[in-house]
Amino acid sequence: MPAHRAAVLLGAGDDADDVVQEALVKAYRQLSRYRGESGFRPWLLAIVANETRNLHRSRRRRDGLALRAAAVTEPLPDAPDPADTVLARDRRAHLVARMRLLPERDQDVLVCRFLLDLSEQETAAALGVPKGTVKSRTARALGRLREHLRAEEVSGG
Amino acid sequence: MDDDLISELRDLDTWLDVPEAADQRAAVRARLAAPPKQNRLRMWLAAAVAAVAITVVAVEPARAAVVDAVVSVLRVAGIEVRQSGQAAPPAATPSPLPSTGEVTVAQAEQRAPFPVRWPEKLGPPERVEIVDPDAAGMPRMITAQYRGGAVRFDQIDGEAGSFIKQTQQAEWVDLPGSMAVWLPVRHALTYVDRDGVERTATTRLATPTLIWESGRVTYRLEGFTSLDEARAVALSLA
Repeated sequence: MPAHRAAVLLGAGDDADDVVQEALVKAYRQLSRYRGESGFRPWLLAIVANETRNLHRSRRRRDGLALRAAAVTEPLPDAPDPADTVLARDRRAHLVARMRLLPERDQDVLVCRFLLDLSEQETAAALGVPKGTVKSRTARALGRLREHLRAEEVSGG
Repeated sequence: MDDDLISELRDLDTWLDVPEAADQRAAVRARLAAPPKQNRLRMWLAAAVAAVAITVVAVEPARAAVVDAVVSVLRVAGIEVRQSGQAAPPAATPSPLPSTGEVTVAQAEQRAPFPVRWPEKLGPPERVEIVDPDAAGMPRMITAQYRGGAVRFDQIDGEAGSFIKQTQQAEWVDLPGSMAVWLPVRHALTYVDRDGVERTATTRLATPTLIWESGRVTYRLEGFTSLDEARAVALSLA
């Protein structure tokens, strides 16, 4: 369920179900305000994103992205070369770790654009910021992430 | 390169730990059906009981989908809309509403516990009845007929359950200032009396209906097959 997935990836963790329920109730009550210009999905995701931010505020913590346990321990069934698999696995673990170090806004924009695969327009609606901000924030977040990863490579990490 | 990083991020999605989503239908329905101040414990229990994951957001575009997928039982003000494949067939001769008979417009306005309003577009009503009075004779509902009984306009006091509608189609529509539900097809209509008792003997087949709520009065306009026409009548309420 995309709303639930969005809540988890935006950092709601174990409270994602509560966030989604709250969002659905609010969505229903606010349906009269839905105007349809940005599509229903981003409209609902905006409510989900907002509820998730409220959650972060109330418990003063954001749950970071986490790899599935299986993704860390098991090789891909059709992996051509075990060494590649290990490399890819390490790379993913690094990527997730680095993502978690980014400022929240940067994480949000990367989650929306690339993990939830929303367009710039949809991301703007979901995060409640102008489209131009999504563009610049995405570029900045990718830049920061690349810096982090490069620093790691240089230090042999 | 950005492109590599982006494709890595996209690829990451399949590897992330996302727990199973709970089925929120029962819980959401319970919360919407209940008055706003709701016992949270009941809501958590409902959420805990729910099991299967649902796909709400994938359904585009929207309002009909919300009725369809988020909650299959909705409540619009005092009217409960049930999404139902097979509505119980109404009796051949449904019994009338607990009415006290025909009254004049002035009498209806005088006895109703809420400000009675009339859709100007329909002109003066042909028949007005007061329905389900309390011990003091105060009616709960005013029902008016127009166009030889083909059009019916009900105004019901408060937001307590008053009708149950079983239908296969329902959609949210815009009505300035309120949320409205449009039932575009014939559907079963059952009266729920002021004590909350479902009067199954009153179940009848209703024609397309627009339902909305304003100022703690529930309105039900039956008999227009075109939403635009129904909306125009609703907006002419004076």
